[in-house]
Amino acid sequence: MTKLTIPKVVFSWDKGVVLFLVLSIFIGSYASEYFATASNLSFVIASIAEIAIIAIAMAYLIISGEIDLSVASIMALTSASIGYAFQEGVPFEIAVVLGLLVGLLAGLFNGVLVTIFGLPSLAVTIATLALFRGLCWVILENKPVNQLPREWIDLGNKNIPGTFFPWATILVVLFAGIAWFVLHHTKLGRWVFAIGTNPVASRFSGIPVNRVKLGLFVFTGFMSAVAGVIYTLRFASASPDGGAGYELSVIAAVLFGGVAIAGGVGTMWGVLAAVLSLGVIKSGLQLAGFSANALLVVSGGLLLISVILPRVTEFVRIQRSKASTIKRTQQKEKERVQK
Amino acid sequence: MSILRRATRFRELPVLLGLVVVYLGTGFLNPIFFSVSILNDIFFGVAIVATLAIAQTFVIVMRHIDLSVGSVVGLTSFLIGDLSSRGFSLLAVLFAALLVGATVGAVNGFLVGYLGLPSLVVTLATLYIVRGIFNEVGKGQTIVESMVPKELNWLGLNRLFGISYLFVIVVVLMLIAGVLMQRTRAARDLYAIGSNPSAAGLVGIPVKLRVLAAFTATGAISGLAGAVMLARFNSSSTQSGLGLELLVVAACVVGGVSIAGGTGSVFGAVTGAVLLQTILMAIGALGIPQFWQLAVNGSLIIAAIGLDRYLSTRLRSTNIMGASS
Amino acid sequence: MNQVNPPVLSVLAGRKAFGGVQALDGADLNLFPGEIHALLGENGAGKSTLLKTLAGVHKLDAGSVTLNGKSFQQGSTRSAQEQGVAVIYQEPSLFPDLTLAENVFVGRQLQSGKFVDWKKMRREAATLFSQLGVDLDVSRTARGLSIADQQIVEIIKALSINAQVIIMDEPTAALSSKEVDRLFSVARRLRDQNCAVVFVSHRLDEVFALCDRMTVMRDGRTVGTELVSDAVQSQVIKMMVGREVSELFPKTEADLGEIVLEVKNLCSEGQFQDINFTVREGEILGLAGLVGSGRSEIVRAIFGVDTYDQGSVIVNGTPLRKADSARAMAAGIGLVPEDRRLEGLFMPYSIAANTSITLLERLVRKLVIRKKDEQKVAENWAKTLQLKFSSLGDAVERLSGGNQQKVVLAKWLATQPKILIVDEPTRGIDVGTKSEVHRLLSKMAQEGLAIIMVSSELPEVLGMADRIVVMREGRQVGTLSRDEATPEKVISLATGAAALR
Repeated sequence: MTKLTIPKVVFSWDKGVVLFLVLSIFIGSYASEYFATASNLSFVIASIAEIAIIAIAMAYLIISGEIDLSVASIMALTSASIGYAFQEGVPFEIAVVLGLLVGLLAGLFNGVLVTIFGLPSLAVTIATLALFRGLCWVILENKPVNQLPREWIDLGNKNIPGTFFPWATILVVLFAGIAWFVLHHTKLGRWVFAIGTNPVASRFSGIPVNRVKLGLFVFTGFMSAVAGVIYTLRFASASPDGGAGYELSVIAAVLFGGVAIAGGVGTMWGVLAAVLSLGVIKSGLQLAGFSANALLVVSGGLLLISVILPRVTEFVRIQRSKASTIKRTQQKEKERVQK
Repeated sequence: MSILRRATRFRELPVLLGLVVVYLGTGFLNPIFFSVSILNDIFFGVAIVATLAIAQTFVIVMRHIDLSVGSVVGLTSFLIGDLSSRGFSLLAVLFAALLVGATVGAVNGFLVGYLGLPSLVVTLATLYIVRGIFNEVGKGQTIVESMVPKELNWLGLNRLFGISYLFVIVVVLMLIAGVLMQRTRAARDLYAIGSNPSAAGLVGIPVKLRVLAAFTATGAISGLAGAVMLARFNSSSTQSGLGLELLVVAACVVGGVSIAGGTGSVFGAVTGAVLLQTILMAIGALGIPQFWQLAVNGSLIIAAIGLDRYLSTRLRSTNIMGASS
Repeated sequence: MNQVNPPVLSVLAGRKAFGGVQALDGADLNLFPGEIHALLGENGAGKSTLLKTLAGVHKLDAGSVTLNGKSFQQGSTRSAQEQGVAVIYQEPSLFPDLTLAENVFVGRQLQSGKFVDWKKMRREAATLFSQLGVDLDVSRTARGLSIADQQIVEIIKALSINAQVIIMDEPTAALSSKEVDRLFSVARRLRDQNCAVVFVSHRLDEVFALCDRMTVMRDGRTVGTELVSDAVQSQVIKMMVGREVSELFPKTEADLGEIVLEVKNLCSEGQFQDINFTVREGEILGLAGLVGSGRSEIVRAIFGVDTYDQGSVIVNGTPLRKADSARAMAAGIGLVPEDRRLEGLFMPYSIAANTSITLLERLVRKLVIRKKDEQKVAENWAKTLQLKFSSLGDAVERLSGGNQQKVVLAKWLATQPKILIVDEPTRGIDVGTKSEVHRLLSKMAQEGLAIIMVSSELPEVLGMADRIVVMREGRQVGTLSRDEATPEKVISLATGAAALR
């Protein structure tokens, strides 16, 4: 088999997440009669669209061994740019393009600081989280933009005619499909995994590590921008504190989806299943009468589980192999002495 | 010894210089800035972040991070008001706050120290969980002035030689913590752990225990900081403490507590907090819209990280061609 | 040195296995107080495992270790230190943010009452430093300290815990000659203070210059112990290698073609200076010199993993962009790196995945990686290189050192390079695989491959290379053709005994 030897834990992990998803759906339908309705499912999908899109890029980034905590701020910055531009009379279509560009540049900024200046991505993106969010306040002050074109708002809120899928679903499916393909079947995907597994050996194998990482940061910025567009349309408003805290949901989803925080391991399936699970759980909790706080606690719990579990299984594995090695060597020495 | 090396030995130099420059510069452009009331505002306003920054130092020097502090301090500020209004004594409520904070800290410390989980993820999770529980418990309620223990109220309103008592508390805490960090083996071990995590275990340092202890201490102080928060605002709600962790980490990084661990002091952390607060006031005094504050903070952190990195790479040895030191 | 007294540390019939490999198979060692004792042996002889046992990293499967007559508690590094055994590694691990004084006393900071006493620590550390005749500022941080200075700090640390046995593991590998001299004088002072100093090395000239007695290991067992003053170099080499040296390395026939690689005036501050050489098709160019002379740095710079400040690298007439390994690979250069575990392989990945990592471009059709082709390529190369494995899907972690090296070779040979750089190609490999590798490289050279071989093993360089460039402390100090080259000439150039030409 030419499969990359990924520890067994992960193979069962993303199957586990899919299982979890299915389970949650069952429990959800059981918990509330409104759960399995078309309008609710539509709502669930709409509510996770932005997170899904950012998580796709974040998965790549974390697999490569980096992280970006500023994604929610980039999302908001995009939103702010669109709102501001539109308010200043720029046609909405152009404003959207502008917003996407802003996201790209923000990602580039992060990427340059990490790859060219060699600063640690965790610290840098905590700083840019503040910087980009701060720029939102500078642009919009505390005057959110609420007058947005009708057709666009509809696009952000209505479903594809005849289905219960919001329009944004198309984007999610498209990006997810491409991302899955690239990650698991192309050279670039292999590179990303290799870089996360061993960046030194990657350099020594002719992989342009810095170029790839820079590209991933730009990609993350872009996807955050796309999410920002969707967010703006869905809430029909561009405001400086939009999407606050989203980065935590994204990271929680990515980690729960089986991507190791240390990098080198993960699947797109797992991440998407995790994102959906979170949406399902959120909806289920809401319908069952729990407040939004329950979701916070559950998200936190899932995040912990996704890091504790691999550690525990790894520990068990090591203990088992240690025991067998000790047994073997004792046996060997016994035989030798007997000879 | 080269000037560069001597300068870097005094890690707090950049932030002190920054503080002086900002203060004098702003005052130069707007002499009203030099007034006593501005100074009062700075010291009064910085108390919470400064307290939390002192606590965060224990964790950052180990090359870890504690993002749950905002949730904890919000929770305990609420708790103090709530319990106090039910008739519990000041000592009892403070103890309760400390206990809550210490418990959260201990959980963090256990997961990071004994299970080896990344502190970013763990404290992110506890941030969520604590905030969720807090929101649920404190749903819809607010702590109002009448519920605040009168001692705290008094501390918040009065001054010692012109400096708010809240800042005096910060200074006292800083001095005690400073001495501990410099002069106790346990604290010195924290620096070693952050400077070279893999070697620390090998030289006999009880790493797991130290990590647990440090996170517990951070949690405990964050819990007590709830009192400071309550004294400062004379109120509390489920919104309290939201987003504070960013400011706290910023204060530390800017103050020379390197995110790479191994170095930095509580003095630097407090100075960093004061610098951030001064900039906040300076922005107002210079007529710059308040909205610039967050962006400025973000840029400052980047600059601090960059400077830190620059200084550490400059001093790395390369030499094959002849010995050098 | 006193042999009348009982030994301070004794290892008797030590045995240790890792998985299927018997690393120690009858190791004996006797250390007396007040001696400098050399531990000699080739890579894979078991020196490292023996060391690690004494350091407390491993426990023996069989055999005994006694310290001062009592049983030595194995398996814990802390316990080893408490018992008075200290190891100074090649790459010391200090705490860069702590001062030197604090580094010496880390974990056991000196106190007055309950509080750490900085003054006392500084004083004591300074005293220890001067006792060894070393001039370092105890108040500076360890960051930026050269490896040589770091080693000294580690030695001071060992002294401060009253170590009776101080083991130095290949300490001179990264040191300049001046630093080596200083280290030697420190070692002598330690001996005079009645320590037992163990000097692990395979640099015979140093052993003969410094040590009192030597123990030679081969294939996991001790094959001889004698006084250095009684020892003859050729005999020692024979003990280490187990057979006549000349048998081991097949000569290559040179049928040289065009110049494929030119290195001109290559300079990198602090690493190397004024490097000039060319390599032709079919030629094996040896880069000889002591470990730490800058050879690996040069080849890393050529391949683009590191950057350089001045000069140029020209491949087939076209200048190669620096610091771009992807481009170097595209231009036909491959590099089998020095550290195969960290630099050469992805340990958790399978044999097939490791082999294909350099070939992805070729295995792609319409953007998709063809897994079947991947499998086939890996199979072919595994066969050609006579790789021993159970399944191509096995993680390379499981393979022996020799087979791991074959995987690294496979991954580069499969790219059909024009220039292959091999850095210590047979380090840590068993003798059988060693000659396989040499035969393979010869064959490739015959087929037109240009090879640059960096090696610290003299017999290997002398046997394989058509020309040898000798480096010392970052500078090129001589070039020898195969006919001119003798061990003495190479060593004297490498150590600076006398400049040739």
